[in-house]
Amino acid sequence: MKRHLFAVVLGGLTLASCSSDDDAITPDPEIEVPANYTFERNNNSTVSYSGQTTRLEMTSEILSNFNDFDNSSEEMLKNMFANENNPFSEASLNESSKSVKSKVAASNLYFSTNSVESNEIRNDFEYFISTQMNEVKTNRNEVAEAGVAGQIADGDAIRYVNAQGLEMNQAFAKSLIGALLVDQMLNNYLSQPVLDEGDNRLNNEAGITEEGKSYTTMEHKWDEAYGYLYGDPSIPANDPNSVLNESDDRLLFNYLGRVDADEDFEGIAEETYEAFKTGRAAIVAGDYDLRDEQANIIRENISKVIAIRAVHYLQGGKAEIENGDFGAAFHELSEGFGFIYSLRFTHNPETGAPYLSKATIDTYKDQLLDGNGFWEVSPETLDTISEEIANAFGFSVSEA
Amino acid sequence: MKRISGILMIMLLSITACSTDDSGNGSGGTDTDAFDRGAMLAHWADNIIVPAFEAFEVSSQSLENATTAFVNDPSATTLSALRNQYRDSYVQFQTVSMFEIGKAEEIGFRRFLNTYPTNASAIESRVESGSYNLELSSSYVEQGFPAMDYLLYGLGNSEETLQKFTSGENAENYRNYLLDVAERINSLTAEVATAWQGDYRDQFVQNTSSSATGSVDRFSNDYVMYFEKFLRSGKIGYPAGAFTGTPSPENAEAVYAGDLSKELYLTALEAFQDFYLGRGFNGSGTGPSYKQYLEYLDSMKDGADLNALIQNQFDAIEDQSAQLDGNFKSQVQTNNTAMLAAFDELQKAVVLLKVDMMQALSISVDYVDSDGD
Repeated sequence: MKRHLFAVVLGGLTLASCSSDDDAITPDPEIEVPANYTFERNNNSTVSYSGQTTRLEMTSEILSNFNDFDNSSEEMLKNMFANENNPFSEASLNESSKSVKSKVAASNLYFSTNSVESNEIRNDFEYFISTQMNEVKTNRNEVAEAGVAGQIADGDAIRYVNAQGLEMNQAFAKSLIGALLVDQMLNNYLSQPVLDEGDNRLNNEAGITEEGKSYTTMEHKWDEAYGYLYGDPSIPANDPNSVLNESDDRLLFNYLGRVDADEDFEGIAEETYEAFKTGRAAIVAGDYDLRDEQANIIRENISKVIAIRAVHYLQGGKAEIENGDFGAAFHELSEGFGFIYSLRFTHNPETGAPYLSKATIDTYKDQLLDGNGFWEVSPETLDTISEEIANAFGFSVSEA
Repeated sequence: MKRISGILMIMLLSITACSTDDSGNGSGGTDTDAFDRGAMLAHWADNIIVPAFEAFEVSSQSLENATTAFVNDPSATTLSALRNQYRDSYVQFQTVSMFEIGKAEEIGFRRFLNTYPTNASAIESRVESGSYNLELSSSYVEQGFPAMDYLLYGLGNSEETLQKFTSGENAENYRNYLLDVAERINSLTAEVATAWQGDYRDQFVQNTSSSATGSVDRFSNDYVMYFEKFLRSGKIGYPAGAFTGTPSPENAEAVYAGDLSKELYLTALEAFQDFYLGRGFNGSGTGPSYKQYLEYLDSMKDGADLNALIQNQFDAIEDQSAQLDGNFKSQVQTNNTAMLAAFDELQKAVVLLKVDMMQALSISVDYVDSDGD
């Protein structure tokens, strides 16, 4: 980028109207940001994110079968994860060429030259499945104790945990929020290499749409990011925040709502939605600097949601441990573990990397699950991890 | 958006009006530099591409001859000779596969010669019926080297294979099919070689325009796409399951011969690299090349010399390949991590070639590899 700026300066000094794409771009006052996420070309909607909805539906079905020990099997859940052998109840999902697994840890920015780690991450999800359907399933009618998988009471609810006290369904779901949704949104579809791939800018400016579609490729990429957050079928397309904290979504949109409901972070849902709309309008207007500014707002907010929930659950777990309620504590810590897992996929706009390093995040996971795991993790450890996460993301532990 | 190096920008400012770097719509190219593209194209054609096709044509003729010898007199000796020739020719093919331009592109040379995995059950039913047309595009998966691979190594051990071609049911049809496949490899190769020896060479060399239709722009797109889709994805990525997360051993190249896949990969890699460096095919020194072009432009990436970055990455790919088994099918079955690591090194080179080199050369990438929803 340095050379690029150099060229701009020279161009500016000697010859004002030189290169078309080097012009200093100021936000165009003409850009109209619609009230809702509604964009049209020749009276046809240009918004499409059905592929994201499909993956969210697949995820829902995996999760709804995860604790059904009588009817589910390791093979069935793994088939659902990879969409092989017609595992879903909906024919449309079976017929889809898409799968959850193929987009786990698959972003352009973080994993295109890192398929070794990507593969390890996918294996982690298969490990959650196989542990659930072997170790946990075998012991589902035993009382869990330190080092022994089984069930443990949490008020009226029954939690099924592995030998370390970790609930596999929580680990799977909350880790997937990062590895699939956050990674695809922040590090793939909102990233410059994807938005600007090939002739995307030229085609976008010339209004050249994809074959048989009403959208340009760049418009569609942006919508695909949008779809991972707002694509659950229970969320109305035109006004998602109208069902904030009321939709059937159990993944990212749900937790955006929870964070927004905390007065310390009130407004984060509205700001994120505005950024999606403004960025999409900026694409229509060909204002890519404005687009990228909005992408960074989204990256910061979504990353923060992950971190805030991680700290929230660690603190909740700590409080329950201090109460002596291990069942409640393990449920909180299991969710917390998943959000910590998801930190790997956050995106700090200032560095273009996660807010915390992979090594640091791996250390947290080890500290939580070391030895007998949640049975013996200390409140001090939970506090230290909470502080470090909160510091890295610029909020305080008490706010979460 | 194209990045233009500072020096190039100064040159432009002092000499002429600005270049619009988005010459992708064929609105007439503006030469953005004084590098002698014509000399580079001539070197490519005369010292690399044409000699490579001529050598491969000799090899594909030998393959046809060895096949004829085998089907006329199937024996352990002729089978062994044919298998060896098949291996030699498949390796030799790796030196021309990246040149899918002109006649090769027109006739779908690479598709006919090397679409894999081959469709064994389709081949079996062709053999059984004795009715087929290898000129159809729907028959890509029933011919070329992958089909020979199946017919020579996929029917059992040497004795069992021999039996299929001598006393087995449909033995005559097997012999005919095998010969037809070998003849087609040879005739398609001759067609491409002849085109290069004829008018196409001049057409290629004289089209020095730096527009999207110029030879350098078009060839570079084919060359980089070959690296991404055929070398990276085809030879490594698909068998390793780099895109799906599930290894597919049956997608390895030369899956029936088995121990040939790494040699094919390394040969392709070396041929690609030699072309980048401008090395003459017959070891006749080097000439104008991508390497020289980038050096001429003084292309940099994040403060580092772009050519050095590319060459270092080629070295890193070669170093990594030491970890790979000779048989990629068993590699992905036993230690897929090493295959994924190979993919990662190749992908780093894709970024340098497809993004940085193409931008430095002001060439618009005319294909995309996105797999969105």
